[in-house]
Amino acid sequence: MTGAVREARLPRRDAPSEGAVRMIEIGGHRIGLYCVSGNFYALADRCPHRGAPICAGMITTPVETDGREITLGPRQSIVRCPWHKWEFEIATGRSLVDARLRVRRYAVHVDEEHVVVTLDQPD
Amino acid sequence: MLIDCDIHVGYETLTDLLPYLDPPTRELVINSGTNGLAMPSYPWNHPTGWFRHDVYERGSGHDANFAYMSLDTLRERHLDTYDVTLGVVEPDEAAAFSVIPNAQLATRLCSAYNDWLLEQWLQEEPRLRGMIVVPAQHPQAAAREIRRLGARDEFVGVFLPGGSRIPYGNPVYDPLWEAANELSLPVAVHTHFESVGIAASVTAAGMPDYYAEYHTLCGSGMYGHLVSILCHGIFERFPDTRVAMVEGGLVPFVGFLWRLDTNWRACRSEIPWCKRRPSEYVWEHVRFATQPLESPDDPEQLLAAIEFLRPSDTLMYASDFPHWDFDEPEQTLRQLPAEWRDNVRWRNAQDFFRLPALAAA
Repeated sequence: MTGAVREARLPRRDAPSEGAVRMIEIGGHRIGLYCVSGNFYALADRCPHRGAPICAGMITTPVETDGREITLGPRQSIVRCPWHKWEFEIATGRSLVDARLRVRRYAVHVDEEHVVVTLDQPD
Repeated sequence: MLIDCDIHVGYETLTDLLPYLDPPTRELVINSGTNGLAMPSYPWNHPTGWFRHDVYERGSGHDANFAYMSLDTLRERHLDTYDVTLGVVEPDEAAAFSVIPNAQLATRLCSAYNDWLLEQWLQEEPRLRGMIVVPAQHPQAAAREIRRLGARDEFVGVFLPGGSRIPYGNPVYDPLWEAANELSLPVAVHTHFESVGIAASVTAAGMPDYYAEYHTLCGSGMYGHLVSILCHGIFERFPDTRVAMVEGGLVPFVGFLWRLDTNWRACRSEIPWCKRRPSEYVWEHVRFATQPLESPDDPEQLLAAIEFLRPSDTLMYASDFPHWDFDEPEQTLRQLPAEWRDNVRWRNAQDFFRLPALAAA
């Protein structure tokens, strides 16, 4: 008997590069796979604000400030929802504008030949 | 205990300020125009009078736009009648100094007015405290005036009119905010002189035709100033700053703050110095005067409509005495839940104006 599909295995050559997203589907769940600073992250394609397909949003760099200088944060580390432009940190799924909101995340691990995304929660 | 955050007093004519002016400015006040220097005023007139008729005292030869009321009348008809513990005095015509084009003249008139207010009213009546009138069109001079008087106990804040050339969060005003912050003085933005002098139109729709329209819309300047102050991060850069919104109503602020919070979420990268959701700054730094309290047929609708403002913590009683839309204290407080009333009656104002002596009174 075959259980429900709970993971996707992408050859490393098919994994997204920095600043890109690779859409995958696992058991009916649409998931965006991202690469930030050499690490892979998987986010559900659903914005927690109004349910938009967040993975269609622009991958970009956050604007930050220490109160005096305006600077750019980690490069291409956020995704901006295409509908209402709310920003979310890819690595954590957390909203930059509402601490109560977080995009659902999925576990990713990398072996010698594949990037593996599962429906498990990341550590 | 009752603190009234909005009592208006004014000179009978500009010539009352002559003893407090430098000689060249005296000459301008006496000789300008046809009958001496005149301040710009509203293009609309209240159809039945700006003032409560029972306190109107027209002096001989008086042709000023604003009626004159004596200190004795203020005592008898308001301070004594309602047992006002402390009244914060806001200007009448002197608010127009900020909307005349000549910023240097405005600066000198503001200083003379403040000295007149101090000598004729504040030092004569211990229940009164003043708001420093500053030339908003000249922020460096405004800062000097704040520093000149701000340490005096008779003054408890800085007055800015709703009508202005540029919204008050704009960096041109930084000297003013810096001075107020330095002296821990709150700033009251009070509807006044929108569409008058150099001030922008009361709405982007253009000039209303009737006073009834103007007075319905006159809070628009204040909404613009509050949004500007929040978007420019004034409370981040000047963390001891407090701002009171006086006579702009309550309900409209709810909608604007909801809308601003939503827009901030989408436009955060444009204004990164606004680090928190804008409404969060409001709870710490902004207070709202009650008058004119909106009066729906069903009072419960008002309470539901303003709940977001955290009114028990942010409302301060204001009468607007002696103007035509005066709110009597007990009528105002009766419309609010009993558990809010002490806060609105005095405690929020005492905290806002930092009046430690009053607590012991």
